[in-house]
Amino acid sequence: MPDNTDEIILELTDIRRTFRMGEVSVHVLKGVSLQVRRGEFLAIVGPSGSGKTTILNLIGGLDSPTSGTIRYRDQDLTRATSNQRTRYRRDAVGFVFQFYNLVPNLTARENILVTTEISQEPRDVDEVLELVDLTDRADHFPAQLSGGEQQRISIARAVAGNPELLLCDEPTGALDFETGKKVLRVLLDLNRQLGKTIIVITHNSALAQVADRVIHLRSGEISSVDQNESPIAPEEVVW
Amino acid sequence: MKTLHRKLIRELYDAKGLLLLIASIIAVGVTCFVAMQSAYHNLDEAKRRYYRQCRMADFWIDLKKAPLTELESLYSIPGITEIRARIRFMANVDLEDFAEPVSGMVLSLPDRRQPVINNIVLRSGDYFTEHRQNEVIVSEKFAQAHDLGPGQTIHLVLNNRRQELFIVGTAISSEFTYLVGPGSFVPDPIHFGVFYVKRSYAEDIFDFAGAANEVAGILAPEAREGIDEILRRAERLLDPYGVFATTPLDLQQSDQFLSNEIKGLGDIATVLPTIFLAVAALVLNVLITRMARRQRVVVGTLKALGYYDRQIFWHFLMYGLCVGVLGGLLGSVLGYLAATGMTSVYQWFFEFPDLRSEFFWYTHAIGMSVSIACALVGGFRGSRAMLKLQPAEAMRPEPPKRGGRVWLERLLGPMWQRLGASWRMVFRSLLRHRTRTATGIFAAMMGAGLLVSGFMMTEAQEFLVSFQFYRTARSDLEVTFESEQGIDALTEIKQLDGVDYAEPLLSVACDLVHGPYQRKVGITGLVTDARLTVPYDSDGRPIRIPESGVVLTKRLAELLHVRPGDRLTMIPVKGERRPVEILVTQIADSYMGLSAYAQIDYLSGLIGESMVMSGAQLTTVRKPAQLDALYRELRQKPNIQGVQSRRVMIDQVTETLLQNQFVFIGILVLFSGIIFFGSIVNASMVNLAERQREVGTFRALGYSEWQIGSMFLRENLLTNLTGALLGLPAGWCLTWLTAVSYNNDLIRLPVVSAPWVWWTTLVLAVVFALAAHAVVQWTLSRMDFLDALKVKE
Repeated sequence: MPDNTDEIILELTDIRRTFRMGEVSVHVLKGVSLQVRRGEFLAIVGPSGSGKTTILNLIGGLDSPTSGTIRYRDQDLTRATSNQRTRYRRDAVGFVFQFYNLVPNLTARENILVTTEISQEPRDVDEVLELVDLTDRADHFPAQLSGGEQQRISIARAVAGNPELLLCDEPTGALDFETGKKVLRVLLDLNRQLGKTIIVITHNSALAQVADRVIHLRSGEISSVDQNESPIAPEEVVW
Repeated sequence: MKTLHRKLIRELYDAKGLLLLIASIIAVGVTCFVAMQSAYHNLDEAKRRYYRQCRMADFWIDLKKAPLTELESLYSIPGITEIRARIRFMANVDLEDFAEPVSGMVLSLPDRRQPVINNIVLRSGDYFTEHRQNEVIVSEKFAQAHDLGPGQTIHLVLNNRRQELFIVGTAISSEFTYLVGPGSFVPDPIHFGVFYVKRSYAEDIFDFAGAANEVAGILAPEAREGIDEILRRAERLLDPYGVFATTPLDLQQSDQFLSNEIKGLGDIATVLPTIFLAVAALVLNVLITRMARRQRVVVGTLKALGYYDRQIFWHFLMYGLCVGVLGGLLGSVLGYLAATGMTSVYQWFFEFPDLRSEFFWYTHAIGMSVSIACALVGGFRGSRAMLKLQPAEAMRPEPPKRGGRVWLERLLGPMWQRLGASWRMVFRSLLRHRTRTATGIFAAMMGAGLLVSGFMMTEAQEFLVSFQFYRTARSDLEVTFESEQGIDALTEIKQLDGVDYAEPLLSVACDLVHGPYQRKVGITGLVTDARLTVPYDSDGRPIRIPESGVVLTKRLAELLHVRPGDRLTMIPVKGERRPVEILVTQIADSYMGLSAYAQIDYLSGLIGESMVMSGAQLTTVRKPAQLDALYRELRQKPNIQGVQSRRVMIDQVTETLLQNQFVFIGILVLFSGIIFFGSIVNASMVNLAERQREVGTFRALGYSEWQIGSMFLRENLLTNLTGALLGLPAGWCLTWLTAVSYNNDLIRLPVVSAPWVWWTTLVLAVVFALAAHAVVQWTLSRMDFLDALKVKE
């Protein structure tokens, strides 16, 4: 069930991020402001180098902005200590990476355990495995799984800690068309059925058709925001 | 079990080969530490127990002859709490079916058992009975060597008469924990023994009724500090009775050998393990840094998932910890076994009633802690590097390595251009991975240093034997007279069948005084062109015995603070004791004991005699039958007190040393091999893992496995040989330090080397490098280069 409310859980205000590369400064984000509502499926779309991943890293507390503020509920992430940010990632955020980032030496189930062991309200591992439909692959190592399967495990790992926010960095980027759609379906189900707030970044605007709202990013600035009144099902997406 | 622990275990299993190698380097360090420390404690505690049990004396005074009543006056010296006067003589042992000269020390013991100073510990049989006067208790190892035991008889030549003695028991005593015959430095229980006889019997035989020629005494504990002053007072007091020597416990021969061994063990027990543990920590650092770096993305992911920095830090530190625990456990077990082995070797050299291998939990605990600490230090740097990474940065693949020129290129200039591409890669790789290269060089340096110092030790032993027994003292046989003889005694000896050549000897016990410095020594009188005793100067040139004046050995000259041209006062122990001024003409090199040489005529004059001799040195024929006849004839001569076959002694010494050398060198090569092999394999594997893509590219370009392998080999050989070359002087320094810490009045360890020391070390370094390279080549041949070429995140 769509669970969009008007409650704003995340707010970015005038975020700038500059990287120093030797002698030169690269302004990756040039004053980005945006708000994310609880239960929203948000897509951030833009070409390579537009600053998508930087935004995601900032939202996830993996990186700090050069200026501006990021608030998650009543917590100011820009002022948080390293430990507070770790706690935020642990309890509020789940990450899904383009290249899955599974620990190669752990089985699918164990990769999920990596999250449940440190989270405060972990979900049942079997339940999560069932959610991504990989119960029968639970004891396989990443090298024994297909890309799609690995990504689904990565999603399972992200949800297992029962976070409010799911941050997905090009979740289908390394997958073929059909597999990509399956992964998208899983994400959408998590959003619709479990009410997770999902932020997906992608350079593929076709994917954005699934989202409730699409933010277009260009050269470190928001170029447009589209409210998607009738999102389509992942199965209908064509690219 | 925590999932991260499971990950740890699997990764440890995957890297088991390398981790085992590093653990084995640590294990060798811990083994050395535990073995030497345990052996140290075993020896030290056995010594304490034994000294207590036997009531070991604090000092000894050798005299010509003094009435017992006069000796009581020693109690007037504050600090002396108890004395024991006894009769002591050297004797020839006449064994029926053993022709070689056998000598012994005869010591008196009370007729009835008492807890005397320097008591004996009976090993078989009983103490003296009242049944016979001529009962004897024989030193245990001598009895064993000749299959003697209670109930049998033995013949000793005592005071010129062949006496039959009835063996009632065998015994050992703390005085002779390390029992060596005159002129030797390794125990030889076949040719030298100790014989305890009843005091009443000794009084009769040696004509010593109510007298003694040796005093052993115990001091009050608080007086031990002032022992030198006490002995000086004792000497003054007993001066009329001819004091030959006063010996405090720390200069007593047996105690000196034993205490030096214990001290040396204690010293080496810290130096040697430190080398291994330092190498292990560095090698581990290389490996863990690499492991952590390879897991960059995992680290980033874990951080993204909400793991704290300290959790990740500990996770990586655990690799080190596991290696440390494994190395420590292995070292602890091997160390205990090695300590047992070492202790049983010591049992051979030192006689103890109860030398046993004990388990010292604190030694094992220290070994374990040090091992873990070293592994943690080794793992710290790599683990900490992971903390510095921002999670976002960590998840990106590592940026390409810094490129650009290395300093060598600028240094070599146009020369660099002439190097082939593969050589350039070799040099760049070495210079860009400075920590790894430095670690490799350091490990090779330590490995080579260890080899050099070990080889130099064996060379020193051989040098010592050849210097002392072949160059300086060259006789086959040494004969000591009962009392000083005129020179015609030599003619008589020369005429004996089997004697090729003979030279007279005069040994004069005296005090040498130079200002505040004083030493009791024996001056050896030689003929001017002596062929059988030849002192050498520090340049290795033979010293001609001067017509007048005295030649001192180096150590003695140092103790007396004299140089050639200085004058000394010599006070003979016997006779008129008239002090005379003598000139020091030259300093001779010597590695054993304190000696002085003078011309025999001149020396005779100093003690107020015309030319006399106290003994003779001979060279003999080599035919066993003829020799046996000569030995028998010499034994029967009334004026001969002792016959010592130097040939037999040298054989014994050489055999003992050789036996131990084989084991010693074997262990040494094994240990340094572990260092070399471990560090090279580790560095190459890390190198190989980091350059997989490069290797794949080369394979794709048509390079063969061997061509690629040769680049790695060149890196290894360069690192290894640089280290080994640096290890040569390092090893020399290590030997020098060991020699300095071991030096004492009895033995000075020469710091000598020979070409074989250097080239064997270098050859071994290359052999170890090749052996390690075999592993690298094998890994290369099994590498899936297509897989290596695939793009990986």
